Amino acid sequence: MASETLVHSADPVDQHLVTVLQGKFEVAPEDIRPAATLEDLGLDSLAAVELYVTLQEQWQVPLDDSEANIGLTVQQVRDTVHRLRADSAGQGGTA
Amino acid sequence: MAATPPPAVAVTVAVTGVGLVTPSGTGTASTWEGVCAGRSTAADAPELAGLPVPIACRVPDFDPHTHARLRQPWRFDRATQLLLAAAREALDSAGLNSAGHAGADGDNGAWQPERTALVIGSAAGGIGTLEDQHRRLLATGPDRISPHTLPAYLPNMAAGHAALELGVKGPALHTSTACASGASAVITAGLLLAAGHCDIALAGGSDAMVTPLCSAAFAKMGALSRRTHDPVRASRPFDRDRDGFVLAEGSAVLVLEREADARARQARPLALLTGHATTTDAHHPVAPDPDGTGLERAVRAALAQAGAAPDEVDHINAHGTSTPLNDRVEAAVIRRLYGRQPPSVTSAKGVLGHTMGAAGAVEAALTVLSVAHGAVPPTANFTAFDDGTDGIDLVTDKPRHQDIHLALSHSLGFGGHNTVLAFRAA
Repeated sequence: MASETLVHSADPVDQHLVTVLQGKFEVAPEDIRPAATLEDLGLDSLAAVELYVTLQEQWQVPLDDSEANIGLTVQQVRDTVHRLRADSAGQGGTA
Repeated sequence: MAATPPPAVAVTVAVTGVGLVTPSGTGTASTWEGVCAGRSTAADAPELAGLPVPIACRVPDFDPHTHARLRQPWRFDRATQLLLAAAREALDSAGLNSAGHAGADGDNGAWQPERTALVIGSAAGGIGTLEDQHRRLLATGPDRISPHTLPAYLPNMAAGHAALELGVKGPALHTSTACASGASAVITAGLLLAAGHCDIALAGGSDAMVTPLCSAAFAKMGALSRRTHDPVRASRPFDRDRDGFVLAEGSAVLVLEREADARARQARPLALLTGHATTTDAHHPVAPDPDGTGLERAVRAALAQAGAAPDEVDHINAHGTSTPLNDRVEAAVIRRLYGRQPPSVTSAKGVLGHTMGAAGAVEAALTVLSVAHGAVPPTANFTAFDDGTDGIDLVTDKPRHQDIHLALSHSLGFGGHNTVLAFRAA
């Protein structure tokens, strides 16, 4: 794989994703690359939903776990979290 | 007795392996050492703080990664985690690959997955998971509950998960007869072997009911000891000052094979399961029949199947819960059946507390070890009989060394279940 692992990313969403995948789901850090699917990381269908529930809780964003599936890439998951965070920040308004 | 005894059992079943995970520790050696030392494991339970009975016996220092060799152990209820540790130890001790049917060592210790059964008893399945997730549902709504809630909770899933982790592809069954569930699993496995439905059966029990709801509910029934100021002396089977059981968790698994098969592969049986029986009181939802006629019928039927008379019984591993009624009923049956030459009696619950659906399997394993080692662990915390429990030969204070040719394990459960297992020396 040409893509870099997310392990050294400074982005807080990336960092949290790495922490959850490495800690709770016991994924080897070198495997956590943007192009990897959740299935590549050893998650099954229930684990994919569990990942979404865990991220929902952490970021307080309305991540729709009915869309969680093992074909999603790490890139897609982080993009979705980023988008929802931006949306909720926008809704909350900045003074 | 009016009942006709059944014919002698056609197939003798060998116990070739044992695994134990109890409040005395993870592993058969630590459990055997703990019960032989008569060292009570009851202690304050922080997770039950604020409840009427905040004491319990917990499995200490259990690590599901190392002891059960489980990845992502949060997917499983604690009862299943404990079970996997016991099952792997049981396979190891039977000389069978505990990593899976083919294992890491090729044919050494290999077993046929399609000819292997798994029968696991529990009273409450993954109730700790159910309680946790119900709290989340109420606190944060349906979005935050885990998709693993039902796979972790459903009572069959301990057997289901264990079959998946070990690669067992024969029958995987769950038995539930409350506190007799583990003994019912051993009986069911024995029947599967006798009928030829499998060649190897892993039979056991597992429960992790040290939870707020279970503790509060047992307390409401008046079943728990209220000696909360002195937990190590709370569980005192057959003692005149007993006042209830102490809630506990644990698991045990026995590897069973037809004796001929076991000997053919040069496995050394620890003991032979030569008789078993189940009866039902049909007397009260949870209280045992005070006359003990259901238990007596079960003992007589198990002995008939074993081809033995009562005076051949050397030892009884009693259910011995430390509740006023159970111990009185059990002692009455023992007095009535054995008369002037009573067998030695012990109850492990003084040390381990009541491991619920695991208890029947834990005590079956301890009975097997007593037969194999020629030793009976003492009943912890016993000081004196009352009129109801007097007249039995209770082993107290220290282990008794004894040649045991035939031993029984009693298990009783809510629902009026009585189960008796008869083990002979191999």
